[in-house]
Amino acid sequence: MNKVGIVGVGTTSFKARWLEKTYYELAYDAAKLALEDAGIDKKEVGGVVYGIYNEFFERQFMPDVYIHNYIGMGLKPSVRVATGGATGGAAVFVGWTWIASGLYDIVMVLGVEKATDNYNYTVGHSTPETLKAILFSGDMTFENPMGLTAAASYALPLIAHINKYGTPTEKQMAMVSVKNHKNAMNNPIAQSPKLLTVDDVLNSKMITYPFKFYDNCLYSEGASAIILASEKVAKALSDNPAWITGVGLSLDKAFAGERDDITIFTSSLYAGRDAYKMSGIKNPRKELDFAELHDAFTGAEILSYEAFNFCKPGDGGKLIEDGVVEMTGDLPVSPSGGLIGCGHAVGATGVMQTGEAALQVQGRAEKRQVKNARVGLVQSIGGPATAWTAAMIVERQDKIKGKGVKGARVKAKVKSARRKR
Amino acid sequence: MIQDKAQWLEEASKKIKVPKELIEKAFKDELDGNPSLDAPLEIPDIMDITYKYTYGGISRFFREIRDNKQLYGTKCTQCGKVWLPPRINCNECYTPTQWVKLGGTAEIATYTIVYYGTSVFFGKTPYVCAFVKVAGADTLIMQNVFMEDVKKARVGMKLTIQFKEHRNGDMGDFWFVPAQEEL
Repeated sequence: MNKVGIVGVGTTSFKARWLEKTYYELAYDAAKLALEDAGIDKKEVGGVVYGIYNEFFERQFMPDVYIHNYIGMGLKPSVRVATGGATGGAAVFVGWTWIASGLYDIVMVLGVEKATDNYNYTVGHSTPETLKAILFSGDMTFENPMGLTAAASYALPLIAHINKYGTPTEKQMAMVSVKNHKNAMNNPIAQSPKLLTVDDVLNSKMITYPFKFYDNCLYSEGASAIILASEKVAKALSDNPAWITGVGLSLDKAFAGERDDITIFTSSLYAGRDAYKMSGIKNPRKELDFAELHDAFTGAEILSYEAFNFCKPGDGGKLIEDGVVEMTGDLPVSPSGGLIGCGHAVGATGVMQTGEAALQVQGRAEKRQVKNARVGLVQSIGGPATAWTAAMIVERQDKIKGKGVKGARVKAKVKSARRKR
Repeated sequence: MIQDKAQWLEEASKKIKVPKELIEKAFKDELDGNPSLDAPLEIPDIMDITYKYTYGGISRFFREIRDNKQLYGTKCTQCGKVWLPPRINCNECYTPTQWVKLGGTAEIATYTIVYYGTSVFFGKTPYVCAFVKVAGADTLIMQNVFMEDVKKARVGMKLTIQFKEHRNGDMGDFWFVPAQEEL
């Protein structure tokens, strides 16, 4: 397999509502930012992978085809990925395969979501309708009619975990919320930068037991794009590209009642195992410098520490208590603020997280920079009861043995990267 | 500017099936204000579709519930695993299953309490949504557990099935309540 670099990153603000932009206008903004960051023209892009989750959010089936047109990519290869909350991460996974296979030299991965054009006229805001749109993803015969919500979908395995291990406690979960809201204060595109106390979280309104208001991520609108490139193009474009050295993708049984163990995030365990193996990571707790995890709900972040083997099952809560996952700790988690602090613009989220990881290892993460960040993990979760996980390892170039490129930036002379016919 | 507000509201209400007063409230600025030509313009819209959906091979599951107040699972003819929700093919053995009658006792395997639901569940919160282990089944099924004090829900709680009086042939036809011994 060929090496895959990240040579451009572009993300719009994540916010509650982009009243002044449609989904394809947002997609255009992210695409433009990423192309400018890579220093290439759209003509040089070999193909585009789109991450867009929900047709009812966008008020459009096949929204990708209109974006492809709108951003001037007509006649280039294109495919849309939709894997629930994991859509962005899975889109990166597919884009990675397009480069790793040698098929294309430059691929854009573009995620976008407009979640709050939905509107409930009875209560005068979008949330109940947005939830309803999501719930069409629950099995329509056996799960949707039971009033399952996205939060409930995470709460079911979490309560089973708490019943078995006694953790995470509500206080430990609240600490994750405080951390991620605080991290978001360093992120100019974040939706929810806030200084909260543990009590603020514990005293906020109960949404879905055991998640209080501040344990939840918010619905966001936004777009994010990254430009992936083959080794030769990546080195021509940048003297400091980030590399995706490991990927993993797992889809657990969507009817979670059929799973052997409902107390853990098994798809994250499997996706993480594959990604670690590919990039040669044996001790993630020591070898990872940071992680961007899928903290759709605080408890999910803690269960993810365990699934990704930062610690033993049941010990995840200690990592937040001991400060290990804080910006000042030795394995900061979600310096961007994560889904809780930065926001969850579903199809864009995993792309944004991967872009963040690239900025970290390139030393371009500004106020949220983790010192000496060389290796990071990205996690993207989706589907009923966390069925889906995409995981990526993003690394700095000098980590790859014997391949460090020094010297002046090579003037980009990238010929059309479309596959020669 | 909208020329005939009454006409616009009439048509909007018909289109999205929402009372005129609520639409008027939501579009107050557009109806009564004086937004510039470049101000973002929102419109009332709806996506809906009706079905005559077939349950295919598991039709009997819903007929037994609707007509006979009887819960059935399916048993793999090779490995013997009992599936609930039922499936007519075992995905482990790739062989057909056969119908087996299940009793009405169960236990909570895991649960959550929903305080904030979708618009379909207005007025029904808080409610317990659980994965339930029905006696005789090897898998868990998602179902609601109704009880006066939802905070009493816990893993391991013993349950009894209850059927709706007028059944329609869907999962809303039955639910669980705490068993006598839990009260």
